[in-house]
Amino acid sequence: MVIRAAMVLAVWLALVTFPQWSSAWESSRFAAGIIRQVLIFAIFASSLNLLVGYTGLPSLGHAAFFGGGAYAAAIAAQRLGTDQLFVSLGAGVIGAALLALLIGFLAVRALGIFFLMLTLALAQMVFAIAFQATDLTGGSNGFSGVHRPVLFGLDLGAASDLYVLVCAIALSVGLLLWRVTTSTYGRALVGVRENERRMRAIGYDTRTLKLSAFVLAGALAGVAGALSSYEFRFVSPNDVALGTSVTGFVMVLIGGGGTLIGPIVGAAVVLLIERVLPSQLPAQTVLGIVFIAFVVFARQGIVGAARRLARA
Amino acid sequence: MIDIRELRRDFGGIHALAGVDLRIEPGERRAVIGPNGAGKTTLFNVLTGELRPNGGSIRLDGAALTGLTTWQRARLGLVRMYQRNELFDPLSALENVLLSIGSLGGAYRPFRSPLPAERIEAEEVLARVGLADRRSVTARTLSHGERRQLELALALARQPVVLLLDEPTAGMSPAETERITALIAGLERRLTVLIVEHDMDVVFRLADRITVMHEGRAIAEGTPNEIRADRRVHDVYLGKAVEA
Amino acid sequence: MTPQDALQQALNGLSFGALLFILAAGLSLIFGMMDVVNLAHGAFYMLGAYVALSVTRATGSFWAALVIAPLALAVLGLLVEPLLLRRLRGRHLDQVLITIGLSLVIADFIRLRDDWGWGATVRSLPFPAGLDRSISIAGSDYPTYRLFVIAFSAGLALLLYVLHRRSRIGALVRAGVGDAEMLSALGVDTDRLFTVTFAIGAGLAGLAGVVAAPVFGLQPGMDVDALIYSLIVVVVGGLGSLSGSIAGSAVVGPADTFGKVLFPQFALALIFAIMALVLLFRPTGLLGRVRIGR
Repeated sequence: MVIRAAMVLAVWLALVTFPQWSSAWESSRFAAGIIRQVLIFAIFASSLNLLVGYTGLPSLGHAAFFGGGAYAAAIAAQRLGTDQLFVSLGAGVIGAALLALLIGFLAVRALGIFFLMLTLALAQMVFAIAFQATDLTGGSNGFSGVHRPVLFGLDLGAASDLYVLVCAIALSVGLLLWRVTTSTYGRALVGVRENERRMRAIGYDTRTLKLSAFVLAGALAGVAGALSSYEFRFVSPNDVALGTSVTGFVMVLIGGGGTLIGPIVGAAVVLLIERVLPSQLPAQTVLGIVFIAFVVFARQGIVGAARRLARA
Repeated sequence: MIDIRELRRDFGGIHALAGVDLRIEPGERRAVIGPNGAGKTTLFNVLTGELRPNGGSIRLDGAALTGLTTWQRARLGLVRMYQRNELFDPLSALENVLLSIGSLGGAYRPFRSPLPAERIEAEEVLARVGLADRRSVTARTLSHGERRQLELALALARQPVVLLLDEPTAGMSPAETERITALIAGLERRLTVLIVEHDMDVVFRLADRITVMHEGRAIAEGTPNEIRADRRVHDVYLGKAVEA
Repeated sequence: MTPQDALQQALNGLSFGALLFILAAGLSLIFGMMDVVNLAHGAFYMLGAYVALSVTRATGSFWAALVIAPLALAVLGLLVEPLLLRRLRGRHLDQVLITIGLSLVIADFIRLRDDWGWGATVRSLPFPAGLDRSISIAGSDYPTYRLFVIAFSAGLALLLYVLHRRSRIGALVRAGVGDAEMLSALGVDTDRLFTVTFAIGAGLAGLAGVVAAPVFGLQPGMDVDALIYSLIVVVVGGLGSLSGSIAGSAVVGPADTFGKVLFPQFALALIFAIMALVLLFRPTGLLGRVRIGR
């Protein structure tokens, strides 16, 4: 256990200092940007994984909380006239959590496949609101001019500073999720996934368990959303669109649901396909085919398959 | 301890429970028997709250159970062992039991790891049902008999006040049956046990009193000897029409 | 709102509901039979519209497109089901996930086919000759095409009803919706039945695409809109039954239309409220047989 923690720490330290030790490489800045985005989406995918992989709730509307958190962060910074990190990030988390409470309240009442349909439909409504509330969100043009945050006196506007921020938050979220999934609460979520009926029979209030997981996942997606608003200095309805929800789902599945590293791997793979793949190859088509292949042949994702190979 | 009056449950035109009266004393071992379709499983489902009755009342130690959810009843101490195993397949036997114990403390401690005390208790429960050396085995890979034992362990781990056993020996070999029957016979007396069973040897060995159900009603009740001699019970099992 | 406006909007609501019915019927059918929510339904709808675009350009006839596009989608369904879905028989969630992948591929395919006259730019399909004018109803002009949509949809509903109730295939579908395993045990080739059902569902989606195209045009993102609306319709009306699709579209169509006209800011909230109410108080949907919520 200590060895694993040390390994994770070592990897993280290498990652955090990447811009420094790779500065001689001409693609260093580009790569650092990719890493930032991978980490942001890793947080998003990990939050979805808590729902899909651990609790067994297949949500196709998770972008509502990602984009919702992004909008909340940007709008709060603008309306309150401050770029302080804890204000915009806090607004992102709280906004996303409240939205998740609202949507989750209705959605967790739905069984199985209908949960999926509901989350999809309800998230689309958030999309439509983002699209239409032009005064608040900028409508179809999106919310531009989002400022990079300021941590008390420290301006985090430079790409390298943002890089460190993203790494730090990613580590914190990772630690949080690790703590949650290994706790009795996390075990209870797995229990709900495996046999909800039995969980109720042994005394668990499964509906509240599911709702709490939904809100927690939503809040963490909001963190990713806020970070995304800093990264791109822009929030658009696309951030709450079905496409983003699907992308998150694809990341979780390809990486490996129900594991901690799975979503990170998945985020890296998907972003590499989307951003680094030469522009001749249609990214969404490739993604779709890869996704189908995984569903059919490697349902447990890369991490799941790797673990099975390691055991054999 | 359990006071059931006029319990009714319909499915479309079928009266699965047509007015059941049942009273069980604390610490009693009551067996419920009857031919297939008599309503025994429906009775259990209504007791645990998984089905809502169409009429009648259920009281547990004086408290009315109407309107309480399954998990609320479980927290009051009404715990069930299922006829078809409802286990957490990918988890180990120990993890299964830990989950059951975990519900006692409340699930909302996001940062709480299982306490050492809980692990010890889980191992004790496993030992009681005879699965001590199978604690790390995934539930899915256990034999059928062992799965039934784990099924019982899940119910016991919750420190029940009333234990509902739904055909505990279903699908078991004679040796496994013997083992589980001894287990149930050895349960502490302060536990009230309600058993649905088809195996008459098991019933006569375990039960203090027996209730016979037929077509949604309790048609006879008494000690094992009384029931053995009861004419109506013979008729019910031989398919003759019976006046309730 | 003047009486003329009200009539206009009522007809709009009716024609939109009519369109929603064609769209939702396919989704409901596939779910009822196979327990699969076909999330590629919107993509099929979109593909139907684009195929119709090409057929209309090639032949100059909308009516040809009305026949060919649904057939093309049905053929696609015949290919996709055995290839992708059959191997995951019983794994309902995974089948749903596959349809997601399929929708990504189809939507991207359309987006890239500039060389076919498709691509990402907004396209339009002209109204068929004869239905491109307005007629006077109660003092105001109303486009004849929308009246056609209402009539066509009603006719389709009737046809489906007759097939459903009176034909052998309808009987098989009804039985399959009730209990596919039992049907298989009775010796019916359920694999082929599922494939045919999926093909019909895809064809209906394509048909909806053709019918909708002259009114709504063709652009990226139309698949998502269609999917969302069909999901809302089946949640409200109920899954797995023809009457459910009718009920759902009869509610959602007019609600959406009137909502957009009367309070455009809250049109969404209205649909959302309807869905929430149905889910909370009638978890099977208005006329459905499948329990959606608890």
